[in-house]
Amino acid sequence: MRRYIVRRVLQFVPLLFGMTLLSFLIIHLAPGDYFTQLKMNPQISPETIAAMERNFGLDKPVLVQYFYWVKNILTFNLGESFAYHVPNAFLIKERLLNTVALSVFSIMATWMLAIPLGIYAARKKGCWQETVLSAAAYVGISLPSFFIAMLLVFLAARTMVLPIGGTTSIFWTGASLWEKFVDYLRHLLLPGMALTLAGIGSLYRLMKNNFLEALGSPYILTARAKGLPPVLVLYKHALRNAVNPMITIFGYELSGILSGAALVEIITNWPGMGRLILDAVLSQDLYLVMASLLIGGFLLILGNLIADILLVMADPRIRLR
Amino acid sequence: MEKTLVVKNLALAFHQERRPVTILAGVEFEISSGETLALVGESGSGKTLTALSIVKLLPPQARLETGEVRLNGQSLTSLSEREMENIRGRQVGLVFQEPSAYLNPVFTIGNQIEEAIKSSLSRKEKKERVAQMLAEVGLDEKHYWHYPHQLSGGMQQRALIAMALINHPSLLIADEPTTSLDVTTAVQIISLIKTLIKKHHLALLFISHDIALAHYFADRMAVMYAGRLVEIGPTRTVFNSPRHPYTESLIACLPEKYKPGEKIRAIPGTVPDFANLPSGCPFHPRCHRRMERCFREEPEMFPVASALVRCFLYGNSVATEPGN
Ligand SMILES: Nc1ncnc2c1ncn2[C@@H]1O[C@H](COP(=O)(O)OP(=O)(O)O)[C@@H](O)[C@H]1O
Ligand SMILES: [Mg+2]
Repeated sequence: MRRYIVRRVLQFVPLLFGMTLLSFLIIHLAPGDYFTQLKMNPQISPETIAAMERNFGLDKPVLVQYFYWVKNILTFNLGESFAYHVPNAFLIKERLLNTVALSVFSIMATWMLAIPLGIYAARKKGCWQETVLSAAAYVGISLPSFFIAMLLVFLAARTMVLPIGGTTSIFWTGASLWEKFVDYLRHLLLPGMALTLAGIGSLYRLMKNNFLEALGSPYILTARAKGLPPVLVLYKHALRNAVNPMITIFGYELSGILSGAALVEIITNWPGMGRLILDAVLSQDLYLVMASLLIGGFLLILGNLIADILLVMADPRIRLR
Repeated sequence: MEKTLVVKNLALAFHQERRPVTILAGVEFEISSGETLALVGESGSGKTLTALSIVKLLPPQARLETGEVRLNGQSLTSLSEREMENIRGRQVGLVFQEPSAYLNPVFTIGNQIEEAIKSSLSRKEKKERVAQMLAEVGLDEKHYWHYPHQLSGGMQQRALIAMALINHPSLLIADEPTTSLDVTTAVQIISLIKTLIKKHHLALLFISHDIALAHYFADRMAVMYAGRLVEIGPTRTVFNSPRHPYTESLIACLPEKYKPGEKIRAIPGTVPDFANLPSGCPFHPRCHRRMERCFREEPEMFPVASALVRCFLYGNSVATEPGN
């Protein structure tokens, strides 16, 4: 198993390189002479242009520029934002933190609710509890995340129970660390709930079906024939097999942290990467776009890697390959 | 001799959408300690459901309508699910047909055997007990740490046998334990089972669709057709002089009864659909010795020599329980 993991981690490196190349090419192979455009853009000061010319070899051929860029990435220099006139690394750091906080919150909430609900519904198969849960899940699956987000924003605006937009309240400066944390969490709740509600239905349905399938498996009959108590039959034998296929899904969710939350971020005005990337693309803030693509791609590969490693740890049949 | 298992007048029906469908009717047999009873019949005749009825591990739609099961003198019929958990594994072990499917793929062999231990032992004692059991079924100690997919079908079946016998039950139910194995492996598993039942003086209910295999190692034999026992008696009697036309046909169709060049025989007709059982004796449409009353009435079990046979060739009374 260790060898498998090492191999997967080693594969990670060339993938990362491929991804930097892709992020770079997408921007640079776009039609138009992009360097001249930069110079003519009144938003960008001549000093910035000069500095970037030096750092990123903008007067050199595209391929050489790529290596300049990679060299800079390795030292965490992601260039300067044309629009905000600050280093992109600085911009991204804060926004990425918000997005990660939002995603971690919603993924945790989704899983912690969907798994027990799925198991409960599987055990109540055919009873009204299952019917109610499955109907609710059906509604949740049919509503797109942005719609749920808009609905929640509307409700929050009407009831004033939750703040809308931003990450902090005005009293931020005078507050203690704990108060700041709670305040942040309160702001997180609205987009977090939107994402959770949007994702919980399909995960619930998957868990219910997996659990039912596991319960119908012959090895469950063996477990019962051994005289094991229901706790072990359900939560050892059935659960472990029901959860295995979910692990891949978990990896995908990690992979999709940026793209998955973008719409909800924009609608609830949560200052995360989604908003940042959208603005960057609209204002042709090229190095910011490239850096964002890079981070998105990095998360994608990392998510897959984590999923694969988790799966190998959970399923002995894959372990031996 | 003391009876380990007594099954009396078992009737089982599936309760699905419309009317209930009766599967088992009037199933009765006994197994003494140390004795092997083979339950044979075509697939779909209700053998597995008979086995599952004994330990009350039936699918949710199946219901026992009548009957009593006594294990070591104790009636299981009125026991709660909780009480049955105590019986399963401890007093009766089960082994099934498809070993790869009946082992949980994500736990080690050792783990799955060890969790079956019912007596409160220390971790170390449990490990020793498992190691001893592994040796007994012919597995290596290293298989403790192996996952099911790392074992061959035969070794998987050995692991399942170890699981079933770890608490020294008095009854083993083996439901077609060799059907999914190749011939060589099947022979090994059969001789392992034979060794184990002798050593532990186990009562064995051996289920098989193969009457020749059953004949090879059962003390007594019960033949099932459409959820009814049609013949039961000492293996020699049943096999060498079958009385029921169905048993007769089963034996006549065995490959070893053929002369070179002869065409393969099969019992004409098909296994009946339980939802539309033929009237009278369910076997009459395929029977070469049917009489007029077979269309209307279902016979009782009649004693013939040392066997019991459900056929009007041997008596006159009509069954009270089986049928509808
Ligand atoms: N879960 C089930 N639902 C409905 N009918 C079933 C089910 N299991 C078995 N049966 C019916 O019971 C009959 C006997 O099944 P089974 O005991 O498995 O036969 P055998 O073990 O002799 O092959 C089958 O032919 C089938 O019609
Ligand atoms: Mg069967």
